[in-house]
This record gives sequence, structure tokens and C-alpha cells, in this order.
Amino acid sequence: MADVRFDQVRKAFGQAVAVKSLSLSVASGEFVSLLGPSGCGKTTTLRMLAGLEFPTSGEIRIGSTVVNDMPPGQRDIAMVFQSYALYPHMTVAENIAYPLKKRRVPRAEREAKVREAAATLQLQALLDRKPRQLSGGQQQRVALGRALVRDPKVFLLDEPLSNLDAKLRAHMRAELIELHRRLGKTFIYVTHDQLEAMTMSDRIAVMHEGELQQFGAPKEVYERPANLFVAGFIGSPAMNLIPGELRPLGSGLGFAGAGLNLPLASGGTAGEALTLGVRPEDVTLGDGPFSGTVRVVEPTGHETIVMVASGDVTLVCRARPDVPLTVGAAVPFALRTSRLHAFNAVTGHRLPVTFAP
Amino acid sequence: MRHLAGRVVFNLFAWTVVLVLTFPLVWMILTSIKPQFELFRIPPAFWPEEVTFEHYRRLIDETPFLKYMRNSLLLGFATTFVVVIVATLGAHSLVRFRYPGRERLAQLVLFTYLLPSVVLILPLYLMMVRVGLANSILSLVVAYTTFALPYALWLLRSFMQGIPDDLEAAALVDGATRLEAFIDVILPQALPGIISTALFTFILAWNEYLFALVLVNTDEARPLTTGVMNMLVSAFNIEWSLLMAAAVMMSAPLIVIFAFLQNYLTRGFGAGGLKG
Repeated sequence: MADVRFDQVRKAFGQAVAVKSLSLSVASGEFVSLLGPSGCGKTTTLRMLAGLEFPTSGEIRIGSTVVNDMPPGQRDIAMVFQSYALYPHMTVAENIAYPLKKRRVPRAEREAKVREAAATLQLQALLDRKPRQLSGGQQQRVALGRALVRDPKVFLLDEPLSNLDAKLRAHMRAELIELHRRLGKTFIYVTHDQLEAMTMSDRIAVMHEGELQQFGAPKEVYERPANLFVAGFIGSPAMNLIPGELRPLGSGLGFAGAGLNLPLASGGTAGEALTLGVRPEDVTLGDGPFSGTVRVVEPTGHETIVMVASGDVTLVCRARPDVPLTVGAAVPFALRTSRLHAFNAVTGHRLPVTFAP
Repeated sequence: MRHLAGRVVFNLFAWTVVLVLTFPLVWMILTSIKPQFELFRIPPAFWPEEVTFEHYRRLIDETPFLKYMRNSLLLGFATTFVVVIVATLGAHSLVRFRYPGRERLAQLVLFTYLLPSVVLILPLYLMMVRVGLANSILSLVVAYTTFALPYALWLLRSFMQGIPDDLEAAALVDGATRLEAFIDVILPQALPGIISTALFTFILAWNEYLFALVLVNTDEARPLTTGVMNMLVSAFNIEWSLLMAAAVMMSAPLIVIFAFLQNYLTRGFGAGGLKG
């Protein structure tokens, strides 16, 4: 059991900076996802923790040990690679036994542990096969087996599900959650898939261009995104971001933009450029003070995704399937003002602004 | 029907090519077992009237043929050993390690091929004399290593570029040292490349003539190529029967090796051609 700490870790490859001053603490036994688009530095972060890359500056700790200069084999970590990285010339049993062999575990104990890991992952029937004779899902299991056979302090997983088909991915997600619960170890999981991060993690670290954008529980990241990047990245369909500014309205201030006028309850200064964030489920169609034109209707069965033009922006909304909608017709709508988000349009930071009901 | 005709034509063509190519080999073998007096008969007879192994016996009993054979084998294996070890480690470095000028270095390796080897003979000879290696098998090992190494490095580099980085990373995380990861994971993957490199080097060392002629002029160190020429071919006479018997014995090891490792060889050359 061990916690993991990054303290102002920076990694540059020549001129290119992959990770800019990252500070992050992962508690012992926690499941943390590093989430972000490709090139955001999440894989580099994981590889630094594994010892496959070395930080340019800063400090990485596993438990109480600074591991900056420690070779990967001594860090007591296990890693599952996106490509699985199974040794093609070894059988499944030899693949799983390899980390034990390198740690001079006696043969009898090694065989017992391989059998145990194989039983956990239902690989017993495949132990004598070579990796190329296995399906993608089976290879994935072998890679997991090789990781868990050694009982490491920390599990590192680098997009382990991205090479599986959608159905198998959903299944493996559930298996990973179960595995984490059973082992109680620290898991650090790199992914670009928000669904994986949201469903599996205790906390999510959202990264973008080498910087940590927000680190919090999935609910928190979804409900209180720290900045415009997180707001736009998390959620599908994405949050509507409406540019506008704060103007005097009645006795106080109001947000004006895209034909909307929303009085503020607190916060903000007059003339400030502000981006309003509205989740698709926070637009209620059919009744309300605003009016727009229905542009596109996409029924998915349990809900309908609707594009509504209002002023010069198009709002993406989720509607119940029983709301009658005609393309081209005007539709009244309301916003759930308690769940709106406001961001500084220049810095992108979340603003402590609340809207009047 | 057209399909069948096409196959027949193709097969006929292929067999014609095979016949043309194997004729000299067959003629070599037949000549080596004909008695001397049958050789120059006119019109020439294809099959010998009488089969004799006298020439082989004479070569082995009365000439230094076996000594040359031993020298050639020693030379071939030593060169192969040195080239394979240096090229495998070197190629691994060119593929996996990050250091300034790595790509440039890889290109420079091929540049060494731009120099015609004739130009190198005299300087190499003088250097060998200077370091006291002249007239030894070791001098030829060093010389052959210098030609075989660039190609070997290039071939193995293409091979190793095809091995995913993740494999080595996985081995490191699993607790292997760099050298262990190289031996446990990289080498088995690069085996076809290593075998073709070894074959290429061995054949080069086995067949080389020019450097052997210049750098060595004692029977103690002479390999088969120059040894056989020296003893059987003179300005006045060529001992055809003995020469053919010697040629058969020189070709046999290569033919045997090829028969066994042909698969690896074509795979290796394929990889070399594909990338780089």
C-alpha cells in the first residue's frame, strides 16, 4: 500500500515541454484517472512514475521514497500497456511468471502464484498458448495477470481498454472496478475516454497541454468544472458555452449574450466579459421565458438531442422523448439557473457568480 | 483451362532457369569425380565412365587443403562472432537510446560503403604491419569486420525498429535490468535478423579473396580462397580435377547452411528492404 506524490514535476524533451510543473497527490488505495486529449502529458506523467522517463525537475514519491532516479524494476509498481506488450516468444504462463522470475522467486512458489493469478482472470485454459493465439480480450487479461501476480504497491494502466471493441470494453471496465475493490491497491489509470474516467475513478485529474486543469471526484469535475477546458471536455454532448458580458439589469447585474438576459443573484462586475456554461440537460424545452428555433432533432430512444438556435448561438439540449418538436418551429425554453456555470472569458477560470432563480 | 496453361508455361520457365543455374554446379561435381584422362575428351562426355575419389584423397593427404579449411572455418566463425555481437549491441543503441547525433551516426554507417574496398587495402595492410598483426588470421578478422559491420548494423537496425518499445519497457517494469531486458526480450525478437546477419557475414568471410591475397602470405594463415588458387593454379598449369574437388568441398558447407536457414535469410533481407 502506498500513496503517490508528484511535486512540481516538469518534463521537457528538448524544446518541447510535455509536463509543466505538475503537483498531484494520490492517496493509498485510490483509483485515480489521468484524463485528457492526446498530447496532454498524461502518458508522460505515467511513464515518469514507472521510471521509463525521468523528470527534468521536481520530485516523485511512492510512499515515503523519492523515486526520481530509481530504475523501474525497483519501484514495486506494475504496468499494463495499451499494446499489452506481451512477450511474443513466451507462453501465457511464462509471461505471467516473468516478473517473479526476475525477482528470484523460487519455482514452486512462482507456479502457485501464476495459477492463482490465472484463476482470478479465468486464464487457466490458456496457460500454454502463445500471445498471438489469443483474442484481444484474452491478451488484455494476460497483461493484467502479469501485473497483479507480483502484488505491487501501485498499478499503472496506460489506456488498457482502448484496443478492445465497445462491448468488451464495458465488460472490462466492470472487471477493473471489481479488481480494484478486491485488491485495494493504488491504481493510476491513463485514458482519453471520459466515460472510463467517470465510471471507474475515485478522483479524476484532467490534464491539458502539460498542465493539471482540475483534480477532483467525477461528480465534482462534472458539476463544478474549474475552467473552460474542463467544462468543454467533460460531458457528452459537450456543455454549451455562450459568450456574452455582464451589464446593469434592473437594480443589479445581468448576463447578456445570444439573445438571453439572465439576472445575477451575486458576484460579477459590470462590463466583464463572461462565458456562460449550460449543460444540455439544464435546458428545459417546451415552456419558459426564452424562445428559439428548432434546427436538428436526434432521437436516441431514451432521450432526444435537440439543437435550438437562439440569437447567434446554437444550444444543444437534451429533451424527454415525449416532447413534440418540429424542425423549423419556434420553441420556448428555460434554463435551470441553479446549475449554470460562469467563466471569465479571458482567463477561462470559473467565476463565483450565481444566477437569480 | 487458360489458368492451367499459364501454370505449365510458368513451370517450364522456372525449371529452365533452375537448369541453367545448376549446370555449373553439376558439372563441377562430375568433373571432380572423373579420372584425369576423361576431362579433355572430345566430344566431352557428361557422365563419367569411371567414378573416382582419387582427387579428394590427394587434396586431403598430399596438400595443405585441410589446414586452409581450418583457417577458413576459424576466420568465418571468428568474424561472424565479432560482427554479430558488435552489430546487435550497436543496432540496439541506434534504435533505443537517445543521444545527440544518433540519426546522423546511423547515416554515417552507410557512408562507409561509398569507399571502394580496393582503396582501403594498402592503408589497412600498413596499419596491420604497424600493430604487428600482418600475416595472421586475426588481421583478416579485423578487415572483414570493417566491411561486414556497416551492413550488419543497418540490417539489425531495421529489424529492431520493428520491435515495439513497450516490450522492453514492460521487461524493465517487470524487474529486468537493461541488459536482462535486452537478452530476455529483444534478442529473441531479433533472432531472424541476427541469423541473417550471421549468414551474411559468414559468407562474406568464406568467399573473400582480395584482402586475403594482400594481407596474408603464409600457409599458416591462408584461407581456402587464396590457398586453393595458390596451390592449384599457376601460370603454366591448372589442376582442374583437384580444383573442382576443392570447389565441391568449399561449397558444401554453404549449401548445407543455406538449406537449413533459407527461411531466416529471406525474412532478414525482406526486413532490410522494407525500412531504413
